[in-house]
Amino acid sequence: MTANLLTLIIFVPLVGALAVALFADERTVWPAAFIFSLLPLALSIYLLVAFNPHDNGYQFVERRPWIADFGVSYHVGVDGISLFLVPLAALLVSLTLLYASGGDIDRRPREFCFFVLMLETGLLGVLLAVDLFLFYVFWELTLIPIYFIIGIWGSQRRVYAAFKFILYTMLGSLLMLVALIYLVLHARGYLGAATFDLTDLYRVPLSHAQARWLFAALALGFAVKVPVWPLHSWLPDAYSEAPTAGSMLLGGAMFQMGVYGFLRFAIPLFPEVAREAAPLFMALGVVGIIYGALLALAQSDLKRLVAYASVSHVGFVVLGVFALDRFSVEGAVYQLITHGLSTTALFMAIGMIYLRRRTRAIGELGGLWRPAPMLGAILMVAMLSAVGLPGLDGFVGEFLVLLGAYFASWQAAALAVSGLILGVLYMLWAYERVMFGPLAKSADRGIADLAPREVAVIFPLIALMFFLGLYPRPLLRRIEPSVVAFLARAQAAPAPALSFDRAKPQEFAGLRVVP
Amino acid sequence: MISGTIGAALDASWRPVLAPAVVAITAMAVMLVGSRLGEEDSEGLGWLTFSGLALAALCAFAAVGRHAPAFAGALIVDDYTAFFYCLIAVCAAMVVLLSLDYVPALELPSTEYYALLLSATVGMMLLAAAGDLIIIFLGLETMSISVYVMAAIARRDPRSSEAGLKYFLLGAFSTGFLLYGIALLYGATGSIKLEAISRALQSSALAASPLVLLGLAMMLIGFGFKVAAVPFHAWTPDAYEGAPTPVTALMAVGVKSAAFAGFLRLLLVYLPALHAQWGGALWVLAALTMSVGNLVALAQNNVKRMLAYSAIAHAGYILVGMTAAGGAAGAAVLYYLLGYAFANLGAFAVLVAVERVEQPGTTLADLGGLAKGQPMLAAAMALFMLSLMGLPPLAGFVGKFYVFSAALQAGYVWLVVLAALNSVISTYYYARVIVAMYVNEGAERKLRARRPGLSVALAVAIAATIIIGVDPRPYVEMAAGAYASAAGIARSGVRAAFLAH
Amino acid sequence: MATWFPIAVIIGFAAFVVGAMVSANRILGPRRPSPVKGQAFECGNPPSGSAWARFSVRFYLIAILFLVFDVEVVLLYPWAVAIRRFGTVGLVDAGIFVAVLMVALIYAVRRGALDPD
Repeated sequence: MTANLLTLIIFVPLVGALAVALFADERTVWPAAFIFSLLPLALSIYLLVAFNPHDNGYQFVERRPWIADFGVSYHVGVDGISLFLVPLAALLVSLTLLYASGGDIDRRPREFCFFVLMLETGLLGVLLAVDLFLFYVFWELTLIPIYFIIGIWGSQRRVYAAFKFILYTMLGSLLMLVALIYLVLHARGYLGAATFDLTDLYRVPLSHAQARWLFAALALGFAVKVPVWPLHSWLPDAYSEAPTAGSMLLGGAMFQMGVYGFLRFAIPLFPEVAREAAPLFMALGVVGIIYGALLALAQSDLKRLVAYASVSHVGFVVLGVFALDRFSVEGAVYQLITHGLSTTALFMAIGMIYLRRRTRAIGELGGLWRPAPMLGAILMVAMLSAVGLPGLDGFVGEFLVLLGAYFASWQAAALAVSGLILGVLYMLWAYERVMFGPLAKSADRGIADLAPREVAVIFPLIALMFFLGLYPRPLLRRIEPSVVAFLARAQAAPAPALSFDRAKPQEFAGLRVVP
Repeated sequence: MISGTIGAALDASWRPVLAPAVVAITAMAVMLVGSRLGEEDSEGLGWLTFSGLALAALCAFAAVGRHAPAFAGALIVDDYTAFFYCLIAVCAAMVVLLSLDYVPALELPSTEYYALLLSATVGMMLLAAAGDLIIIFLGLETMSISVYVMAAIARRDPRSSEAGLKYFLLGAFSTGFLLYGIALLYGATGSIKLEAISRALQSSALAASPLVLLGLAMMLIGFGFKVAAVPFHAWTPDAYEGAPTPVTALMAVGVKSAAFAGFLRLLLVYLPALHAQWGGALWVLAALTMSVGNLVALAQNNVKRMLAYSAIAHAGYILVGMTAAGGAAGAAVLYYLLGYAFANLGAFAVLVAVERVEQPGTTLADLGGLAKGQPMLAAAMALFMLSLMGLPPLAGFVGKFYVFSAALQAGYVWLVVLAALNSVISTYYYARVIVAMYVNEGAERKLRARRPGLSVALAVAIAATIIIGVDPRPYVEMAAGAYASAAGIARSGVRAAFLAH
Repeated sequence: MATWFPIAVIIGFAAFVVGAMVSANRILGPRRPSPVKGQAFECGNPPSGSAWARFSVRFYLIAILFLVFDVEVVLLYPWAVAIRRFGTVGLVDAGIFVAVLMVALIYAVRRGALDPD
């Protein structure tokens, strides 16, 4: 079983998607999809247990040729950076399906389950692929389902949001594709054969100019996805127009892809340029933190507020990654997990409010605490987790990021802290307006508190928030070796570069570098 | 003894033209059978045509073999020829499947329709197999004249006549250019045989002579018209929109593949010596074709017209591959044509299924709400759009990947970046089709009962679009083998897009 | 530049010849119009009706069919001259050629292209 564990994890949802699309009817579709999403979750929990925390390389590796002529192989593996993101993604997909079945998705459930499960395959594939071509295939595979989810089940401006999302992402990813091909063609001159295998491509020397262009193309693709300010403008539209289930997937499970791309590909492949660009990206991260927080403060719609809060929070992650410090990168990886949890919980809670009141406008809500104290409690926990209250999961990541960033640049850390303060402000202010005060409408007195199924959906998230906040050690212990390995690559001296400008591999026939 | 002689002669000289001969004989059979029947049995004629084309696709393998001239060099028999024989026969057969219920529904004259379809196919095959300039011309004309008439065959529809007339006038105009180019090349090199021309142009003095350059330019213009490259594309949208939908499919897939087959063989295999001259021109053509095709497609509300501009844009991507020249590029273009052909055939098949008899327009509004009424059709259309968009793991993606790789390898970084940006633009209008089907509401509409033929065509197109993309190995091998055989280079020379040296 | 010179010469010569022929006709040809000369030529018979009369589109069809078959059949003359050199294979080839023409002819007849009315 362990021999094909990762393949199973990746492709079971796809099998489920096809099965659901072809065989399920209106009644069986939700349970069937949910069960299919539990399988990869169970497998990935087994993966957590079986993972060797002392090994900093890829584990559970599978490798077989796919398109030999292009040097493409089916190569998957898991390391400390992706280890926890896999079960997280699986968990969030399961919870999304469970949540969506409770009334959020009221039309075409079969198509919805098909797209969500297809998205899960794409997500898990992105996290587990070690081959660049494979990575790209999965990367694009995530695009189609989320496009449909926004476009079909979203709210009024869904078509606009879906177009904006797909155009932004395609722009980044197609340039990324060109860069990948260029890199591989170039690498062929050194390695003797074409390969899209990441582990081989690490060894390829590049001229500085080449590395800069390639890094720029890759970074653009990933930065759009993160999103790094100022490429974020698709995010508020996509997050707020998507159905709640779609926002949960976007904000909880998909935002990791971009950061993960930086950690796995852009920085290790071009460490020298990445170090040069680090101050720029740290600055962009800080701008994102403050910009997102300020705009969140001004939002009147709960979902848009969370969307801008996300812009602010991913700023922390970007800051952490590009501080290139052990603490900060660990913190960033940790935040990938915790931000996923808290954003999902927030969207879920907002969705629950929306189901009851049919509005997300802060001004039209008020005093919900009295009729629905449990709802108020979970919204509180989710918000506090998002703002990084000690004892909850958000704190660990943010603290580590700030610590690491302080070593890299105290100015950046100082400015980032202000984002933290603003975060407390906009979250609690919104909370106060929604939950406390007089009831906005007298009919609100009759609002139902959480139903048991809703508790069941959100409980795992709340439990994980406390667990990760109080006892981060088991995670950090497994993340650390891979982060150390990552930093070793990121800090490495530049490979012996030869100066040339165009990839004309014929000319390098004699220059094959023996690894 | 006589039979022995005939047998030997048949074996030696007919094998290479077995496929077109089968198609031609089928065409004659259709003319004889169709003209005799008092009341035309349209469907019977369709199946007769289909079986002839299927047989031709099988006969294509008779041409597989070493690179050898036939009919004194007029035709060239090799895997390249066989590849295109097969591709063209399959495309034409798919078009027949689309036509089975379309032709009687629109009351088109079925004998003439199918006979012309077959003779167009013969022309395409000759074009793909051409070994001298005269056969290139002959094939091109046989193909074009048949398609001109097919475009105008819906006589009661003024747009069809307009399509036919525009296509004919501009087509005839472009043929003039081509013929002039042929004459000049012949004058400069003293031969119409591609082999001999290629050899003559080895001498750099001749290669730089104005006659050759002028001839080359004229031929580029002539072929530019046929493959609908910008700025020679003006006929395309009207012709595509006005022609009956299956004919549009034939124009977008068959005509384009065949024209590229001839174009590619001429430039990449026989005129590489002039790459310095035509490379730059193609660079500009490719850049213009991609950009104009994609930008204008953005504004289209008629799906057929949109697909016309999309076809122009795809011609641009193919031209990117041709600009790169060399073994990898040739193979990449061949592979690209495969993925392109099936995705387009599928898309037109969906349009045929959706079209209403009384109003054969297919605007985006006509597709509204298709996902609700016809979920399978909508899903199929979405799949084809995604493949044309170039999303993995579908055939269109691997094709683009392959072409981009070949061009990057040849050092055309900026052209590839432009192609990538164009692909981003194309996302918008392909996605609009999907939005129309899945998001917009449309009036409930009764579709014609779908005959099994159309379903088969759809199934084939879906399967091909997925399989060619997910497991591209055999098809990449096929494309590479075909091109290598035409170029007379070692198989590895073509595979080397990524291979070691 | 020198290499382009012959082309310039050809173009110039072509223009010259065309111009010369047209203008020579104008200058040298005597022009003595008379009513008889102005009449439409109808095989020596006095013309009847207007020259702008409309006539059946079938005329074009028959003319084109005649042209097509005529030109195709001309190909048989060189074959007949060299019939011994081509031998059996040539005979078969010509047979195929004629058969194709026959198919076209049968088609044309069945479609009524040669019907007299």
